[in-house]
Amino acid sequence: MQNIFIIIFSNIYYILIAIGLFFLLFIPLIIISEFLFLEPFLVFSIYPETTLSFSLIVTLSFFSSLAVSMNIYRVKLIKETKKIGSSIVGTVIGASAGACSCGPIAFSVITTFGTAGSIASSFLTIYEIPIRLTSIGILGIVIFVTANSLSHECKVKL
Amino acid sequence: MAKTMIIAVGVVAVILVAAIAISFSPNSSEFDNTQNTTENEFETLIALGSETAPVTIIEIGDYQCEMCKRWFEKTRPEIIENYVDTGKANLVFIDLPFLGNDSITAAEATYCADDQGMYWDYHVKLYQLQQHVDDGWASQVRLQAIAFDLDLNMDKFNECMNSKKHYNTVNLKKQMAVIEFGADSTPSFIIINNVSMDKIKLSGAAPYSTFKEIIDPML
Repeated sequence: MQNIFIIIFSNIYYILIAIGLFFLLFIPLIIISEFLFLEPFLVFSIYPETTLSFSLIVTLSFFSSLAVSMNIYRVKLIKETKKIGSSIVGTVIGASAGACSCGPIAFSVITTFGTAGSIASSFLTIYEIPIRLTSIGILGIVIFVTANSLSHECKVKL
Repeated sequence: MAKTMIIAVGVVAVILVAAIAISFSPNSSEFDNTQNTTENEFETLIALGSETAPVTIIEIGDYQCEMCKRWFEKTRPEIIENYVDTGKANLVFIDLPFLGNDSITAAEATYCADDQGMYWDYHVKLYQLQQHVDDGWASQVRLQAIAFDLDLNMDKFNECMNSKKHYNTVNLKKQMAVIEFGADSTPSFIIINNVSMDKIKLSGAAPYSTFKEIIDPML
């Protein structure tokens, strides 16, 4: 299985995709979670109590970038899109958790959808850590299954 | 199976895009707009610190907002110590209770406490005791318990809460936060230079260093 990672990421194209996807997810998430402030000054702020949340964002972004870039490789190889769907679902679930605490997204959702929006928002906030852990688990499974199937599919039959 | 997955991903993506689009669109607030904010209402704001301070920090918050609690615990103490207690700035709190039903009653309770001169003590207690949104930590009974703990006159406090005496005050503060200050999240901050009347808006639980960089040049 280790060979599969070497095969995929020996191509600079997939490394760039993975790095791009990582930052595409990581930057918005740390802004929403108020680790990074863009205005009026660029400030990064992390407290000891928020280290776990920050670590989960890093892990989620890393796993997502890995899963999606591996599946892009897979699509190119065998035109199979199923696992890309799973990794996107995992990413969306993980990204949604905690994004609805007191920020503009929560404000808009709650003022638009009223009580239902409030319940959804508080659910995503209360269960932020378990939801992110679940998403990381989903992404881990996707990476494992993708790598496994790729290593079988790529085997040269003699 | 693959089709179902693609449809599911599509639906989730649409919901996500819609939520983001809504968040960046102009606020369609449900607030009661029958009352207009006037200059007099600014005078009704309760300030902590010297009235003649050269800087005013306006915090727009919700008592159930966890980011507001983070700011309360991490940034506020240093602001109080270095700017409010030294007479360089005063701090004003404007309610934007949108996260749950208990946000409104908690805000009302602070004004009932203010009737007995204990606004800031009650404000501090609420943030110290904050838990999850609408999980009962700010129920009527708990709000009464906080009042009792602060040695407030319970007859007056209960009468104030039961008669919804300050419902309009809270509603007015909500309007002020959204209409006058354009707040769309909590905590938000407006830092006003009382000499030049320059205003700087901040969104989120910004760290102390950000406030210092803004306030120091105003002094």
